[in-house]
Amino acid sequence: MEYQGFRVLLHLRLGIMLTLLAGITYCKHAPASFSELFRRHKYITEAYFQKHETLIDRAFQDFISSELSHVFCGKQNFMPKLSVMQRQLIGEGSHRRLTSSVKIEIQPEVISSLSCEAIVIERLPSGVFADPFELEHLTGRGVFSGASAFGDTDLELPTVRANRSVVEVHVDLSPNSLSGNKNSWELKIEIPLHARYAPLGKHGYTRVEFESPDLFVHCVDEGDTLNQSCIFSSTDEGVRTSPHAIVWEVPSGIVKHTKIVSVLTFIAAVVGALSVFMACIFYSEVSVYNGTKQS
Amino acid sequence: MEVMNFRSLIIFSAFLRVLLIVYGEWQDTHMEVRYTDVDYLVFSDAAALVVDGKSPYKRSTYRYSPLIAFILTPNSFIHRSWGKFLFSASDLLVGYFIRTILKLRGVPENLTIYSVLVWLFNPFTFTIGTRGNCEPIICAIILWIIICIMRGNLFQGAVWYGLVVHMRIYPIIYALPIVLTLDPNHFQRGKKPAIVDWNSRQHKLNETSNRLWVFFQSIFTRSRILFGLISATVFFFCTGIFFYLYEWEFLHEALLYHLTRTDPRHNFSIYFYHIYLNYEREFAVLEKLISFLPQLIVQIVLVFRFAQDFPFCFFVQTVAFVAFNKVITAQYFVWFFCLLPLILPWSKMKLKWEGILCVLVWIGAQTHWLFWGYMLEFKGKQVFLQLWAASLLFFAANIYVMITIIRRHTYSPVFKRLVTSRTKKIT
Repeated sequence: MEYQGFRVLLHLRLGIMLTLLAGITYCKHAPASFSELFRRHKYITEAYFQKHETLIDRAFQDFISSELSHVFCGKQNFMPKLSVMQRQLIGEGSHRRLTSSVKIEIQPEVISSLSCEAIVIERLPSGVFADPFELEHLTGRGVFSGASAFGDTDLELPTVRANRSVVEVHVDLSPNSLSGNKNSWELKIEIPLHARYAPLGKHGYTRVEFESPDLFVHCVDEGDTLNQSCIFSSTDEGVRTSPHAIVWEVPSGIVKHTKIVSVLTFIAAVVGALSVFMACIFYSEVSVYNGTKQS
Repeated sequence: MEVMNFRSLIIFSAFLRVLLIVYGEWQDTHMEVRYTDVDYLVFSDAAALVVDGKSPYKRSTYRYSPLIAFILTPNSFIHRSWGKFLFSASDLLVGYFIRTILKLRGVPENLTIYSVLVWLFNPFTFTIGTRGNCEPIICAIILWIIICIMRGNLFQGAVWYGLVVHMRIYPIIYALPIVLTLDPNHFQRGKKPAIVDWNSRQHKLNETSNRLWVFFQSIFTRSRILFGLISATVFFFCTGIFFYLYEWEFLHEALLYHLTRTDPRHNFSIYFYHIYLNYEREFAVLEKLISFLPQLIVQIVLVFRFAQDFPFCFFVQTVAFVAFNKVITAQYFVWFFCLLPLILPWSKMKLKWEGILCVLVWIGAQTHWLFWGYMLEFKGKQVFLQLWAASLLFFAANIYVMITIIRRHTYSPVFKRLVTSRTKKIT
């Protein structure tokens, strides 16, 4: 009986030790999984599209929560507060700019040891797209530290033939750009967007609604020899987003025009062709030139 | 009135183009709106990929022959404006070729200079090369083909023709007039063709119908067969080489895309709204054929009417091809602008006021379309119907200008019959 009791106790202690070991190993590897992500991919969205062909909101959210659970940076435990203060769609017509005013509050004492960047991910609705080359041009001009578009970035497809796309923008958060009492960054991010040719409708306009962006702060502990990175996401606590939805009214073709437009187009083509035909047939047959040409 | 001589004209034009290229670099660096054409950035990126040993088709929207990327590779190691200088040089070469062709046909110097001015100082053409559009190269090749045919260098003409059709498919429309021109009465072994002098331009109806009859009787002549075989060989050789290098991506982007292109986005074509409204369903084969019929009829009637005056035939065919096409973008206009100077010395149209009216009608209709295009694209107004009506109006303007030019043209076959005893040879 005593021997059996001893065996149970031994197994219990072994079990606890193994669990603790597994736990320590997990904790050690958890930061490595997205450090690995950032080592292999410059952009979070790039990693998503490696596993998925198209953008599905649910799948993207699951991807964010599973791959990007936050880990503490450095020796201190801190949590920046991320909020999107204002969202606006500026401009008219098919080419506009989506602006987001973002505030990131952070304890001043941790800033010095960390190198951070803000990451804004816009999951664009069907019907609008970003030009990757335009984003590259903006990055080259120093507007962003990195920007790219993923998913269906075909510039020419109308909405009915195109899939959704995602824009990811990185902005460096340097201590010099801190605002006010040196405990927050206020950024204004402007992304140029273009409307695709909208699906046909009855009323002449199609509504395109934008969701809130996903906001992250990605930091690297400069003091850490392994260069571990950590990330904070706007799905964590303490995020405030702008209440009203951003809407883009895109002009679209009207279905009831179809018949009349097709008929008149063909009539115009036939009349044009006949006119040229008649002009050629009745072209003046004999034309003899006498004298000097006048200009 | 004495006009400046040709050398001064070319020097001044070259200077203007260099200035514009330099200005373009400044504008690109300092202003939000670029001077450089988006297409030039596409060419440059594709050329950079080629330098790295990759396919130029990895650059999205690169829909040209790999040759364009190849000739722009110095953009990566000499200067990014190399291409613009090359295209502007081609632009000047077009001016030189226009003069050569008109001189071969005996046009007086003054008239030649006026005609060359129409190309070199057309604001549309001098901006197109300096903004980095590659059309001047195509225009230069087409004019060179005309020169080769006029000089009897059929082998060279055929090689360049095969190459230009590979680079840009549209010159295929010139195949039939070229074949008709390669009449055994004009081209005989060992003899250069005899060119009709501008001073004695005239034609007779009988000759035209005789030519048609002769054509059908002796369609397969040596020069026709050779020209066809050589140009086809060059075309398939280029296609084969690039298919070997870049496979289906090349075939699709550089060839098939242009043959099957139906763009629902707004452009000058009368078909754009019809395509957009029907985009969600596939067009039936019959529908596609019916929409191609007006284009086909116009091309055939123009060719059989004017083939012997082949520069004029090329011009009206190109205007018609562009006007009846499913997609029209502004760069297509260069295709006939480079041929316009070749027909002016044979036009009875005076600048005042018939010529000016044609210019105003064409530009007016275009500006009207651009206004509605601006309202749609930059103001976001639902003006599809108005824009489509504007495209019908622009189409009508094109037809009006084309018919006016046809009616005021003095039809003049390029070549004389070699068999007549009074043949005049050009040395």
